[in-house]
Amino acid sequence: MALLTLKGIDKVYRQGELEVHALQSIDLTVEEGEFAALVGPSGSGKTTLLNIIGGLDSPSHGSIQLNSTEITTLKESQLSDFRLLELGFVFQAYNLVPVLSALENVELVMVLQGRHVGERRERAVHYLKLVGLEKVMHRRPSALSGGQQQRVAVARALAAEPRLVLADEPTANLDSENATALLDIMHKLSHEEKTTFIFSTHDVRVMERAERIITLRDGAIVSDENVERHQREHAV
Amino acid sequence: MKAQHSHLPFAILLMLAWRNIWRHRRRTLITLTSIAAGFALSVLMIGLGDGSHNSMIRNAIKLGEGHITVQPRGYLEAPANHKYLADGKVLQKKLDALNVAGSAESRITLQVLASTANNSVGAGLEGFDPEHDQRVAMLQPQLVDGEWLTTGDARGIVIGDGMASKLKAKIGSKVVLMAGKQGGDSQAQLARVRGIFDSKVDELDDYLILSDLALAQRFLEGEGADLAQVPLTRFAIFLDDPDSMAHWKAQVKSSLENDQVVVMDWEEMMPQLVQFVFVDDAGNYIFLVLILIMVVFGILNTVLMSVLERTREFGLLRALGLSRYQLLMLVFCESLLLSLLAVTIGWIAGGGTHWWFATHGIDMAALMGNGSTAMMGTFMDPVIYTELSSDRVVQLTGIIFIATLGSGIYPAIKASRVTPVEALRT
Repeated sequence: MALLTLKGIDKVYRQGELEVHALQSIDLTVEEGEFAALVGPSGSGKTTLLNIIGGLDSPSHGSIQLNSTEITTLKESQLSDFRLLELGFVFQAYNLVPVLSALENVELVMVLQGRHVGERRERAVHYLKLVGLEKVMHRRPSALSGGQQQRVAVARALAAEPRLVLADEPTANLDSENATALLDIMHKLSHEEKTTFIFSTHDVRVMERAERIITLRDGAIVSDENVERHQREHAV
Repeated sequence: MKAQHSHLPFAILLMLAWRNIWRHRRRTLITLTSIAAGFALSVLMIGLGDGSHNSMIRNAIKLGEGHITVQPRGYLEAPANHKYLADGKVLQKKLDALNVAGSAESRITLQVLASTANNSVGAGLEGFDPEHDQRVAMLQPQLVDGEWLTTGDARGIVIGDGMASKLKAKIGSKVVLMAGKQGGDSQAQLARVRGIFDSKVDELDDYLILSDLALAQRFLEGEGADLAQVPLTRFAIFLDDPDSMAHWKAQVKSSLENDQVVVMDWEEMMPQLVQFVFVDDAGNYIFLVLILIMVVFGILNTVLMSVLERTREFGLLRALGLSRYQLLMLVFCESLLLSLLAVTIGWIAGGGTHWWFATHGIDMAALMGNGSTAMMGTFMDPVIYTELSSDRVVQLTGIIFIATLGSGIYPAIKASRVTPVEALRT
């Protein structure tokens, strides 16, 4: 069953008398457990699409259904709760609250979800172990490397049990080694936790690991390839 | 198990707020120090103001007619020698029966013309008990020549150095005291200068003539009074506890007041002093407001800067599911904690400053140059000690707390208006 369905999504920005069509008639369906990448040049609409799926921005037209909830009809406070309960976010940078330790950052969303202190502590420690950061869990972000901070963000996103994790250029500020390590973790957790991931990326390393590549150009989807099927069909 | 709505426990909110205010330790410390300094200055100013005012009031009451005065109805509006309490003996008994916590002094006040061979001047003759009256402790030490009065001395007077100078009188000089009578006649008594005082208050030194009750009562006898009934102009009641004035005034009023006799408190007797204190206080509060404005802008600057620096972080928090209200409360809690810290540190600094000056005082006589602290017909003690009542403590704490907390409202509202998508682009 489809987890996410987008139908006829348009996004128009008005700059004075000028209209900018950031997205044009986007139709997209994402199944549960997919590890999908939105790719395209700068300005193609990747981040805009991700923000709209995440309820951080609203479309000019169209419908978005996540797990049978029509996101476009939700009020602001409902959207806030929706993001809290259904979504996880990993941003390019500045993912963490500077005054909280890695452990507290992972617990934060679970605090907002109202989980019991024992449960959230247990889950936070578990996911920090999964991303290999159990030894630094009491450090604050300023004492962690860029790669470590991104891994904490991944742990936070997954610990809250979201249906969908949205990652906007998560490897953009990382070197090759850290980027590869992060992607491996996310790919592995995606399969283990059966969590759906949608990335926006320029990074070839991300594309190589994606099971589905959705290419955007000028706000429209120009190709949508299931990579495993593509590889099987083109195998020699 | 997840709740359906965003849930931020108060303990977590406070923890976040506390850690946020210490993110920029130096900036926070500078802000708190400036608030504490401003507050300490305010406490000193108000304390000094209250100390000097209370000193003036205490001295005015001692020099004047006490905390509560019993006198003829209509005397305050139009003083006259023929207005007196004819039955002082009866009133005294009623007063004694009340057991007032303090003392009640018998006094006579007359307008006279004092004359020597050299000059004549208008004067106020004050008859009182020269051994027990409250004025004794204040004026006897001010004698610069001669001796103090003795009880029953029907001729002796003590005058100020200003009066002595005008009359060209010295110790032992004869002075004729003349007063008009109600019928239009006049009466005169011969007096002799026993002592000369210098109180440093011109209104006393140039105008006041002190005598035993015996001399002053002769003038009342001339107005038709029966000396056996102990005629007086007033009873001046001095309370041990000034805060009990309202209570005792009510008691004395219900026992003594009638259509001939009125009971008044010092505020009614000395409205100009009350007004002076009010105006001076208002001046101090205007200064306090100016200090507060600087304090408020200091906090506003600190909190607003920290909000503007965290736009992206607020966008992140909103994206994760924090509601606008929770974000507003977070920033408001930061202001709340800053205010609490500011008030605490302010009171440590201000309280310490007050303690120092309450213990060591400020030498006002030296500051005022000529060594005199006289004003408004009374005087301040040469060394003023700051005073802070519990009402003032509550008032100052409330003002600073509300001002500092209020300065956090705008930054909190600004933070709550952050939209995630715009904030995350910064």
